[in-house]
Amino acid sequence: MTNEPNKQSRYRAPRLAIFNHKGGVGKTTLTVNLAFAIAEKGFKVLIVDSDPQCNLTSYLIEEAVVDDLLDNSDSDQGATIWSALKPIAEGTGETKVIPAIEVSTNLFILPGDIRLAEFESELAPLWNECFKRKLRGFRGTVALSALVNAVAEENGVDLVLYDSGPNIGPLNRIILLDCDHFIIPAACDAFSLRAIRTLGHALYEWVGDWQTIQELAPDNVYLLPGLPKLLGYVPQRFRVYASRPAAQFASFLPRIEKTVVEDVITVLARLNAVLVSSAAHPLKLAEIKDFSGQATAAQEEGVSLWTVRSGTPAQRADAQSDFQAFAAMVLRRIGVTKQ
Amino acid sequence: MSESSKFSPEEITRIRSLVKYYQESMFEKADRDAHNIAGHFRSKPLANLIHSIKTRAKDPSHLEDKLFRKLTASKLEGGKEFDITTENLVERVTDLAGVRLLHLHTQQFPEINAHIKSLLHEEGYLIIEGPEARTWDDEYRKVFEFHGIATIASERLYTSVHYIVQTSAKSKRTIEVQVRTLAEELWGEVDHSMNYPVPTEIHACKEQIKVLARLTSSCTRLVDSIFSTKGAAEKLKQ
Repeated sequence: MTNEPNKQSRYRAPRLAIFNHKGGVGKTTLTVNLAFAIAEKGFKVLIVDSDPQCNLTSYLIEEAVVDDLLDNSDSDQGATIWSALKPIAEGTGETKVIPAIEVSTNLFILPGDIRLAEFESELAPLWNECFKRKLRGFRGTVALSALVNAVAEENGVDLVLYDSGPNIGPLNRIILLDCDHFIIPAACDAFSLRAIRTLGHALYEWVGDWQTIQELAPDNVYLLPGLPKLLGYVPQRFRVYASRPAAQFASFLPRIEKTVVEDVITVLARLNAVLVSSAAHPLKLAEIKDFSGQATAAQEEGVSLWTVRSGTPAQRADAQSDFQAFAAMVLRRIGVTKQ
Repeated sequence: MSESSKFSPEEITRIRSLVKYYQESMFEKADRDAHNIAGHFRSKPLANLIHSIKTRAKDPSHLEDKLFRKLTASKLEGGKEFDITTENLVERVTDLAGVRLLHLHTQQFPEINAHIKSLLHEEGYLIIEGPEARTWDDEYRKVFEFHGIATIASERLYTSVHYIVQTSAKSKRTIEVQVRTLAEELWGEVDHSMNYPVPTEIHACKEQIKVLARLTSSCTRLVDSIFSTKGAAEKLKQ
């Protein structure tokens, strides 16, 4: 262990997570297509596949390449997120910077790995070491953020998108604390409302704990910003008939909005007003239709919902305009503009 | 409390509000700081040289006593202003968090000191004062000075090595680290209970505490001697 002052500094690009610990809310589809839409606007986007299920990696990278990446990730030539973080998880050294893969114009991915779960299991003890003010704890807790700094800088990225697994675990804790912003994708059902409630309270705890840890931290240690600002929510998978959401889904929209206000915004505002400073009206950032058949095909082809071969031209145009509007809204809220 | 009569209601309110601030906003942090630094000291090889470690966050009533004493002192120094505020409390009172390392005999100290310094350095703590050895024993003064440790004469016959450590320049919170032998701890505990917060006025007790200092110093010296005899005997065998 060295006593060199940590020279790490945060790379300028804002970081965003589309986060809900409830699965099946279309996180990956939403993240990928938002990334495609932003890349089309001429911004460089880095997607970090930080979900050990690596759905996003298999979405964007062809199967043979993914197999190769995963087969070699534990070796010295490894090039997945696990290869990068393995020295931290095993306590053998510093993070190894790996190259991002450019999957299409302006769109980069940091490939995920099933073995990232092994890094995650080290994160809980590392978190406790932060409370004991041990440098090892700080170094491990910020390792992913430091990796993103290096990879984003190397590619001159304008925006970083994290894709996270559907749980409230130690990995998602460091991801959310590394993000400048987050969006809640919500399905139109009762479980989703319950999930939003626990999400607000988990975030409250994480941000509060991180404040304590920051106060304990030695000088010159690179720290997570720890203030993820809510941008809003995106209701998912509701069916649309004659341009209007079907009745059973429509009835859920005000309930989602109410839960976000009461159990996320009000809760986080108690901690720090900054956390909700980007949650302007409207909170609903987009309405994403159920593109089910099209989404499956897009995933297989590794393309956006509007460049996929399946579906009708009208469906593709619909998908494109939905995501372009969503992307424009996100960029405006985050404050990313053309230089 | 007895001080009340000597201070104006404004002064009492001011000190009580500092104590309240400490109790509500700083006590938990001081307690955590003390435990955290003790956690580092419990690692090997330092742990092999240490008998036991005590941690504490300053008791709020002891802080109150200390602040009243500082107020009295500032008045005695010819109207020098008492300028402790909630903003500078952690800088002006450097023992809100305290850790005491107890060991067997003085000859262990140079090695203990080296470990403490390197541990604190590695973990990014800043030693802002010390080590300073308070001692009244000429022979031990030479031992400390030989190893480059500053010494302060102690008329009260108090014996201990002190460091003031800062958790970070940004937070300005400090921890007082004390290192002393078990025999010195015995003297310190007796002295504390007789003379704190108000010094005893019983002549015989004052006398006996001074004799006790000589006895406990001799105990430490005897333990040094026992271990150096053992070391020398083992060398001979080889």
